[in-house]
Amino acid sequence: MTKSNRSKGIDYWLPKLVLSPTIAITTVFIYGFIFLTAALSVTDEPLMTIFSLTNPNIDFTFDFVGLDHYVKLFENDRWNGALLNLGIFGVLFIGICMIVGLIFAILLDQNIRAEGALRTIYLYPMALSFIVTGTVWKWILNPTVGIEKFMQDIGFTSFTFDWIVDPQMAIYTVVIAGIWQSSGFVMAIFLAGLRGIDTSIIKAAQLDGASLFSVYTRIIIPSMRPVFFSAFVMLAHIAIKSFDLIMALTGGGPGNATDVPAIFMYQFSFTRSQYDMGATSAMIMLMGVAAILIPYLYSELRGEKQ
Amino acid sequence: MAGLIIDNVQKSFGQTHILKGIDLEIPDGEFVILVGPSGCGKSTLLNCIAGLEEVTSGRILMGDTDMTHAAPKDRDIAMVFQSYALYPNMNVRKNIAFGLEIRKMPKAEIDEIVNNVAKLLQIENLLDRKPSQLSGGQRQRVAMGRSLARQPEVFLFDEPLSNLDAKLRVEMRTEIKKLHQRLGTTIVYVTHDQIEAMTLADRIAVMKAGHVQQFGTPQQVYDDPANMFVAGFMGSPSMNFLRVEVGQNGDDYHVLIASEGHTYQLPCPKAQGDLSGYVGKDVILGIRPEQLTHVMPHVEEGEFVTKVPVKIEVTEPTGADTLVLTRINDEECECRVHPAEAGQPGEMMDILFNMDKAVFFDIETEDRI
Ligand SMILES: Nc1ncnc2c1ncn2[C@@H]1O[C@H](COP(=O)(O)OP(=O)(O)OP(=O)(O)O)[C@@H](O)[C@H]1O
Ligand SMILES: [Mg+2]
Repeated sequence: MTKSNRSKGIDYWLPKLVLSPTIAITTVFIYGFIFLTAALSVTDEPLMTIFSLTNPNIDFTFDFVGLDHYVKLFENDRWNGALLNLGIFGVLFIGICMIVGLIFAILLDQNIRAEGALRTIYLYPMALSFIVTGTVWKWILNPTVGIEKFMQDIGFTSFTFDWIVDPQMAIYTVVIAGIWQSSGFVMAIFLAGLRGIDTSIIKAAQLDGASLFSVYTRIIIPSMRPVFFSAFVMLAHIAIKSFDLIMALTGGGPGNATDVPAIFMYQFSFTRSQYDMGATSAMIMLMGVAAILIPYLYSELRGEKQ
Repeated sequence: MAGLIIDNVQKSFGQTHILKGIDLEIPDGEFVILVGPSGCGKSTLLNCIAGLEEVTSGRILMGDTDMTHAAPKDRDIAMVFQSYALYPNMNVRKNIAFGLEIRKMPKAEIDEIVNNVAKLLQIENLLDRKPSQLSGGQRQRVAMGRSLARQPEVFLFDEPLSNLDAKLRVEMRTEIKKLHQRLGTTIVYVTHDQIEAMTLADRIAVMKAGHVQQFGTPQQVYDDPANMFVAGFMGSPSMNFLRVEVGQNGDDYHVLIASEGHTYQLPCPKAQGDLSGYVGKDVILGIRPEQLTHVMPHVEEGEFVTKVPVKIEVTEPTGADTLVLTRINDEECECRVHPAEAGQPGEMMDILFNMDKAVFFDIETEDRI
């Protein structure tokens, strides 16, 4: 009895013991700092002194300012520009990724030859970091070395493609690079969804007289709703957090033309030392991601329970 | 309505030949059952009939029309799949109506048909549910309803009852039989279930490795199998096969069996095959367990019945009968006896060998003699 109790005790404690450092680190460095950021966004500067460990006169006094920083943030033109850019980028990036991914998935689903090779080719960009994608596309889109120069060199002297240096168009180059990187991944998700559909359903629909087009539009795609939802959530949080791609591709420029909330947050916190604005913008981004992820997790977990 | 003619149909996937020349002539309104071991090409044949797979060669005719290269939707065939293949995103009503909507039938007419079909299959209260909210038997009904609604010329069923529990399967079997009697539509039906095959079929086609081995009424296939494969495949428990030597007494032939060191002569009815060419040679004797019984006075008097004492090796009670496993000619042999008459393993027991329905096969070709 005692022996089995003790061994049960080890079985019981060992996983907890092994996991506890991770839990402690996560608690402090993720949830702790989320809390600090939240605190920072509703208080005035002095709280910052606790971050400067070299400062001997640690001052724990702070003033609670409520939503002042939030009001200030939404009066800031640069922030509003960043939000608009995120809107343009998010809608186009998510929408086009889904359409391109779905089309490729449907084409690959037609039992074509060399499917494995094509799937790898489409999926490969996902293996690159956004930094690499951004840098490569910066070269490709650079008018003096990339596509424009290439087209002019082979004889189309009037060809221009200078979106990356055009403040009006620069955000669309971010969209292009983002789609190139992520649509293969979306395709893989959709392909898995399509493969999960019983082939006899398609046969039954054919016997019912449906064309291939209506088989897809009326049966297959509607029954893939959960897959669309997953793809949307993954793309949406990539879009909201997008930082590295834009840093590598345009650095937020020209000017502030491709500013997004993540870049705004980074620059205000770490180059301008306006921690209050940085923290406030970070909180807005967190809320945005949460607004998308929480319903998703909720529906996923509920699905598991059933 | 229309009959179905399958004329030398072959089907290959690349280098693998699946159907190697299938010939079936199915008159209008006949209920045909396809049986055969797994992988012999039953589903492939149904898919070819439906037009879901292009045949490699041969012809498929419905009525007088050559349908070999017609698209599935032009064949007016409905199919019920093993997995039911209901459209997961549509409720039952939409599932049944889908084929009619595609055919641009007026809304009012569709509603009427859906309601009639639902009433026929007793699924009226399920019309607004999604397939995921239905039990196996209910899905099966919906799948049938979907095919019924179209009022096709030919029904194809691919193992429609195999996912149901035993009781429901019996109920649905009766439903399908009633349905066929009412509608009189031509049906081709695949099953692995012996009882389903025997009870439902007007005729049974036994397939093996892409060939039809025999195509006949259930009784023909059971009593008069074309070869050893058909004999062994149909019937459960399956037929006993014993290697025996043929002997001759004047005009009459007999085969020799040995049990526990004694040899017995079993006289063979002439109607069951001409053994004249095999005297002194070995043949395969095929005899069903129900021809090997405990001693019953009225049977014992029969001309072709022999009493043989055997040693019981194993007994398997099935309720109505007990199967007694014994050794004849050093091969396993099953007898079907009344539970009260069955002895214990290791005991001796008298068994009547009734040769009235015995069949004989050539050892080389495995064909009937
Ligand atoms: N699309 C395909 N490509 C290649 N081979 C196939 C294809 N479809 C079926 N086959 C092969 O054809 C053979 C017959 O398959 P089929 O599904 O007709 O068998 P079946 O008689 O219906 O078996 P079961 O009783 O298990 O359903 C199998 O060996 C299978 O592997
Ligand atoms: Mg099959």
